[in-house]
Parts: sequence; C-alpha cells; structure tokens
Amino acid sequence: MSTHPTPPSGYDVGREQMLDFKVDQQLLEVVETDAKNFILTTVDEVFNWAKLSSVWPVTFGLACCAIEMMATSATRYDIDRFGAGAFRATPRQADLMIVSGTVTAKMATRLKLIYDQMPEPKWVIAMGSCAIGGGPYFKYGYHVVKGVDFMVPVDVYVPGCPPRPEVLLDGLMRLQDKIRGRKGRFIAPKWVTDYAKLIPYRK
Amino acid sequence: MEPNAIYELLAAHLGDGALAFTEHPLEPWADVAPGRVADACRFLRDDPRLDFNQLMCLSGLDWDGHDAAGKGKSVAILGYSDDGQPEKSDRVATGELGVAYHLYSHALKHKFTLRLRVPRDAATVPTVSGLWSTAAWHEREAWDLLGITFAGHPDPRRMLLEEDWVGHPLRKDYVMPDLWNGVPLQGQPYCANPFPVATGGPDQPAGDKPAEG
Repeated sequence: MSTHPTPPSGYDVGREQMLDFKVDQQLLEVVETDAKNFILTTVDEVFNWAKLSSVWPVTFGLACCAIEMMATSATRYDIDRFGAGAFRATPRQADLMIVSGTVTAKMATRLKLIYDQMPEPKWVIAMGSCAIGGGPYFKYGYHVVKGVDFMVPVDVYVPGCPPRPEVLLDGLMRLQDKIRGRKGRFIAPKWVTDYAKLIPYRK
Repeated sequence: MEPNAIYELLAAHLGDGALAFTEHPLEPWADVAPGRVADACRFLRDDPRLDFNQLMCLSGLDWDGHDAAGKGKSVAILGYSDDGQPEKSDRVATGELGVAYHLYSHALKHKFTLRLRVPRDAATVPTVSGLWSTAAWHEREAWDLLGITFAGHPDPRRMLLEEDWVGHPLRKDYVMPDLWNGVPLQGQPYCANPFPVATGGPDQPAGDKPAEG
C-alpha cells in the first residue's frame, strides 16, 4: 500500500473526496501486479470488446414487456446499433436472455432449461417488474415466480411496467459495461490516467 | 325475443327444473336446477323460436362470502404476506359453487343467461360440450380453477395449470403453495433496508461510513 510513488502535482485531493473515489490504491495495485500479464490483459480487452459488440439475445418474450422488446429491436430504437439485434431462435446460438415478462411456475421450468442450454459466457437481463420481483402478482399470484433471480442469476435489472425501449437500451449498455470489465458508469478520472503514465513499463 | 319471454318458454319445457328468473337492466338471468341444465341447453339450442347456436362464455363461480340473497360479505382471501410467505388460515369456506352460461343466437340476435348453483362438496354438473363444442375447453378451465366436475366430459384434464397441481386456485379458501416442482413461489420482502448501517467490519471499512451530521 505504501510503496506507490507519490501522486503527481495535479492530484486534486478535494475532488477525490467530493466524488468519494476509493479506487486509486486498488487500481494501482492491479496495474503493478499484473505487469507481466500486460499483453494478455490486452487480449482480454479485445475479446471483451468482441463479446460486448455482438450480444445475441435469445428470442424469449413472455408477456407485455416483450412488446417493448420488439419495439426496441425495430427501426425507431434499433437495438442493432449496439450489436444485439440478432434475436436467435435457439439458445445454442445466444449469449443473452432478456426475461421480458411474467415468469409463471409452468414457464420457470422451461426457462431454466433454456438457460442451461445457452453456451458460456451468458448473461441475463430481468426486464420489468414481474421478472424482477413478481410485480402486481406478488400478493395473489399463486402461479408466478416472485423474481426470475430465484431461477437463474441475473446481471442487469431493468425496472418499469413495462420499461420504455430507452431503458432497455440503457440496461443493455450497462451489461456491455459489465462485459467490458468495468462497473456501471465508472470513468477513470484524469489524474488516474496521468498517474499510470508515470509507471515505467507503460512508457 | 325478450329474456322474460325466453324464460316462459324454458319454464314450460323444464317444469320444476326452472327455479327463478331475475330481471336486471344489463344481464337478466334464469336459475335452473343443476341436474336439468343439459336438458335446458338442448331445448334452448334446438327450439326454432330460440335457436341459440353459440355459447359465448361458460364461467365457474364461487359464492363463498355471499349470503342467500347474493349480497357480498367480507372474506379474507389468502395470499402471500408482505414478506412473500404463504398466508395460513383455518377458515373453511361454506358458500356454493356455480356455473353461468351466456348464450347468443346469431339468426335471431337475442341473448340469454343461465345460472346454476351446486353444493361445494358435491360440485358435479352435466356437461354441455356435446351441444357446443367450445364448452369443452371452458369446462376444463372451470374444473382447473374452481374444481367443478362436469359429468360426461370427453377430456377432463386441467386446462391452464400442470397436471400435478394441487387444489383449485380460484376457490376463495385456496391456500397458496410455497413450492411447486422445485420452483419457489414464495417471495422476498421488497424493501429489506437498502441502506445498511456501516459497521466498520471487514466488508464495510470505516471509510464507507456516511458523514455525521
């Protein structure tokens, strides 16, 4: 922890406290300890870029949220701009399952089967109130699973009833951020990138 | 033809099987004896003065929580609690079950509604699927959700739920399941304190504490 070089003069302590950033030490540790794996890390970045640029969803519409999902894939919102427009009719060719709608108990067994048939790596977006937590069926829904995360692991939750297409696109972009290996809206501040240039092997 | 005139023809055919006729500005209906409903439906379909060639809808009914006059009383229907757990109660439902038939004649353009009540512990009604084939699915749905048995039905399976489902969910004393075939049906609380207090433990170091004041 204490072996790092001193920060450059442009390091703004007040800004760090204002933004509540606590990543500097962790980031520098990663950069330094992964020095021998530098090229491999870059290959990972290329692979991640390829993965996030061609997230193919499985055709899986369950309820009214599927209408918004179809609108998202149509020309006005055009999910193909983000490389996720190739809705596959088989889970063998898909990377992403957008659970768009109410997950009934009868469908949950099929949903688990479809998820198990998808090849790794695979991701799940829970779209809408029903898929997140049962929605309006929480009280009397004897046939509804109260959240698809009881059945499969969920990467991104997109709330709404149903969510607008913009929100689904935003959820897709957050998933792409996740694939890229970063957290949601994390952007490295300038002092971090300047600091990284001081490390010898980066020259 | 007006509904009361239809009922006069029906009562002349059924005799004591026609129980009552109720005037209603929107939906006048006739109560018939449960055992005579197939006879009544055959008469309504085949008589040339009536010619009801379509069964618009067949609905199952649960009168639990209603008195003899049909006025509703307060019944606590079981569900899942705010924590998502199935609610339990020892209340035993006592009301009757029933079936409503909505008929329409395309040629004569008149409507009619039949209704019947059956006791809860012996809810058996003769089928009308031989008269209108659309009744087969509607009766399967009434069996699936309310547990009304239709004697003589050609395919008495569940309609919507799986074959191994226990109980009939739209009955007012239905107890919600918490698990079905490994699928969890209970929930979790929506709001389990999304802002936990910083404890200073290993997963929440002191730097994560919110500012005092």
